[in-house]
Amino acid sequence: MAASQRAELGASNVRLIKDKAARWGVTLGGGLVLMALLLIFFYLLYVVEPIFRGVEVEHQQSFAVPGQGQTVAMGMEEQSEIGYRFADNGTLSFFALTQKLGTDWQPGQVLLTEQVADSPTAFAATQPQNKRYAYAVAGGKARIIEPKFRSQFKDGRRLTTPVVGFANEGELIQVDPEGRTLSQIAYEYNGESQLFAAVTADNQVIVNFLQASRSFLTGTVELKSKFAELPINGQVDDVVVTPDLTQVFVRQGNRFYVYGVSRTGTISERQLLNIDRRRYGEITSMQLLAGASSVLFGHANGLVTQWFEVAGENGRQYQYIREFQAGSSAIKDIVAEYYRRTFYTVSETGEVGVFHTTSEADLYFSHIDNVKAERVVIDPRANTLLMQSGNELHSFKLENEHPEVTWSGIWQEVWYEGYPEPQYVWQSTSGSDDFEPKFSLVPISFGTIKAAAYAMLFAVPIGLAAAVYTAYFMSPGVRKVVKPTVEIMEALPTVILGFLAGLWLAPLIEEYLPGIVATVILVPLAIVAFAALSSVLPKVWRNRFTDGRAALILLPIVAFVGWLSFELSPWVEQALFDGNVRQYITNELGITFDQRNSLVVGIAMGFAVIPTIFSIAEDAVFSVPKHLSNGSLALGATTWQTLTKVVLLTASPGIFSAVMMGLGRAVGETMIVLMATGNTPIMDWNIFEGMRTLSANIAVEMPESEVGSSHYRILFLAAFVLFIFTFAFNTVAELVRQRLRDKYSSM
Amino acid sequence: MISVTPNTSNVESLDLANLTPEQTALEIRNLNLHYGDAQALYDISMNIPKNRVTAFIGPSGCGKSTLLRCINRMNDLVEICKTSGEIRLHDKNIYDKNVDVAELRRQVGMVFQRPNPFPKSIYENVVYGMRLQGVNDRRTLDEVVERSLKGAALWDEVKDRLNASAFGLSGGQQQRLVIARAIAIEPEVLLLDEPTSALDPISTLTIEELITELKEKYTVVIVTHNMQQAARVSDQTAFMYMGKLIEYADTNTLFTTPAQKQTEDYITGRYG
Repeated sequence: MAASQRAELGASNVRLIKDKAARWGVTLGGGLVLMALLLIFFYLLYVVEPIFRGVEVEHQQSFAVPGQGQTVAMGMEEQSEIGYRFADNGTLSFFALTQKLGTDWQPGQVLLTEQVADSPTAFAATQPQNKRYAYAVAGGKARIIEPKFRSQFKDGRRLTTPVVGFANEGELIQVDPEGRTLSQIAYEYNGESQLFAAVTADNQVIVNFLQASRSFLTGTVELKSKFAELPINGQVDDVVVTPDLTQVFVRQGNRFYVYGVSRTGTISERQLLNIDRRRYGEITSMQLLAGASSVLFGHANGLVTQWFEVAGENGRQYQYIREFQAGSSAIKDIVAEYYRRTFYTVSETGEVGVFHTTSEADLYFSHIDNVKAERVVIDPRANTLLMQSGNELHSFKLENEHPEVTWSGIWQEVWYEGYPEPQYVWQSTSGSDDFEPKFSLVPISFGTIKAAAYAMLFAVPIGLAAAVYTAYFMSPGVRKVVKPTVEIMEALPTVILGFLAGLWLAPLIEEYLPGIVATVILVPLAIVAFAALSSVLPKVWRNRFTDGRAALILLPIVAFVGWLSFELSPWVEQALFDGNVRQYITNELGITFDQRNSLVVGIAMGFAVIPTIFSIAEDAVFSVPKHLSNGSLALGATTWQTLTKVVLLTASPGIFSAVMMGLGRAVGETMIVLMATGNTPIMDWNIFEGMRTLSANIAVEMPESEVGSSHYRILFLAAFVLFIFTFAFNTVAELVRQRLRDKYSSM
Repeated sequence: MISVTPNTSNVESLDLANLTPEQTALEIRNLNLHYGDAQALYDISMNIPKNRVTAFIGPSGCGKSTLLRCINRMNDLVEICKTSGEIRLHDKNIYDKNVDVAELRRQVGMVFQRPNPFPKSIYENVVYGMRLQGVNDRRTLDEVVERSLKGAALWDEVKDRLNASAFGLSGGQQQRLVIARAIAIEPEVLLLDEPTSALDPISTLTIEELITELKEKYTVVIVTHNMQQAARVSDQTAFMYMGKLIEYADTNTLFTTPAQKQTEDYITGRYG
């Protein structure tokens, strides 16, 4: 007796262990799934996070200003190893910025000094990426200097040596043919032609366009001068020319003149802008932004305003776009970066500000290391900042990887240079060097929703109707075949669907658009008409088609109506749409028609989503307890009344989750939208236009984005948004489903 | 041996074989029923009197529920089921071709073994049948709800929470709600298919009392496993065995002096 009891206890111990092991196994599995999800979530965040960081400045070196005289310009070479400085006495000095292995360089050590101009009267710098400088000298002449750097490799180390280069083989250029002394000068060149603007000692503003023409015979380049005097009187504060040699700006206080320079050198006044003193304040400085489409004005009240040309009634005119507040003291100097739309300000009180225009990002504003800045300069790669303060130079390491991305720039309308108004734009790359990437996630999020919406428009009615019919009306024998068949459709690789949609369906729809529309309208009508007809057929006939075979005789009807629609399509096109629907839609209705459009995507992706919706909804309807529908029938309800009043109500949680699962699938679907949408990131509900979805955008652009770049991180952000989309859909679906289940679940 | 207390109610006994038309609710004539190749009912003929409680008893699988379901044609839902013979309601065969099954079921209500309230409020459950007929007038519906719930002896328990979900009720209350739902459309015949088999004894007692009251207005046909229940609530009892009607008589007579040996064996607990 005792022994058998012990044996039983032993057996139950094994059971206990199994039970525990199973419980731990299940818990571990669930925990791992949750952890994997969290890991994805945090990894995405980890990659995305740097784009929202501010600017970090770290002190590197400090040394005395090398060379004599007052600084008029400074610069650095690509590696930020050597700096150079132009002084008002006409000297150019190169100096080391860091200690360098293999050399005896010390920070601030002068490497080369050369007198490049004799007693200069004015100085000009081109836009930073052109790296040319001009000194005006006596007799209305100018000398163009080009600091160059020669790299050699010695013992496996790169050694950079500075060289003073001169344009025009060092010859002086006659800017003013009358030989007047120039008190101000502006200079730009575009590789061949050169444009000067200058102010003479008698306050005359002159423009000299040196147009290059290449001789076909000898290949030599000849400069042809075109000279003009501008009708401006009085003291001129600033004169600037654009690097594309098409515009000359002259500023007198708050009066801003814009002159156009034609390709032949003809000058015409384009615009005179009176910048409101009360609104914006006195202008204290002026600078072109990289790409040279925007003009920045620094004001006495610390405001920096951005202006660019916007097409309007009087052609393209400069207008106020946006402003930045850089402290409260006057802006002494504005420095533009080489390639990005980031700029640096130096205020009268010595603070340095870092801003990005399009993203409206205030990245930094402070005294760096408590030093009062007088002049700053940025290197071509924008990671070293050189600052002059009194007789000292300070170099700083700058971390500013992603100034072009801000939360508001991603989700709000942004006024890009050259655009007529603020817009949502996604355009990550382009052929032009002046191009600025436009990262608005709104159009692609919109595309995702649009694609999903059209797919659901197609899939929900068909999927749910099929599910209800299969679960509620179909005979069990037929159901046994139909259900697995539809579910197998789910296993169809979406790349095949996308391929078919893009290469077969899209041209088909384009050619037979009236047929497609007619099919969509006529087939359901034909089915309903046929159903109505069958109910008045003699019973003898009807009894032949029991067991769900009635559905089979529908097939030829559907096929016939579909065939008829397509056969009639060209006739309809001829009769109603002047022979070409596509042209009719574009010309007469003014609606854009893309071959790969939302209709194609709706059908193709709807096809992919139908099995998901069908399968879950069918299960839900089928599992409505028989005693509920019997209860309804026993109260004198017809089958249809029972379906609509009891069965669908009871199955509603399941039907709802079927739709939401379908939506989740449609939102995350990649291949079909990638292949069938045309991937145009536009925001328009037009069914005949395409879209670009978040998922397709990631698939298209990830291979070509540079690891760690803003573009790369934005794509991760797009992935994160997609993740949040599906997460939100599923959470809402689950909450609603549970509420419905509490309300309608049967016992 | 089961002790059976016969119904002591003071109903006069009827000559079941020869009812006058005024006394008759239903006439079943030579009813045969096949499930595919298997025959489930053999040549059943019986008269069910008006405003009385008729019980069908017999061992499991004897066909008593099948017979009950024939009366409102719920068997039509089983595809392989074939019926022959007649069931006459108002002197009209319910298996005639031009009979509207939905209308038939409105006149012949049914309550099932398991309480099956719909996933709606108590109020909406009761008015379900009315709404099916297109009655949406609030005052009419309110009256129907009160009358039906009172008729099902549920009014006092639920009158303050008519808009609460029917699922919040106990099993017994749910079954009375289902009865209220059935009588809301004022059927002539009420079929009860083992209405108390899923309920506790106290709920069973309440329902049994209710059944006795219901016969004042309706003809009640009840299928039950429980012989005491049949004896307590019914006026006449039909004993079925293997698809055949063995004996049909006054409940008193059937339980005290059964005419057939099989009936006696069953009510004395020899099988079943």
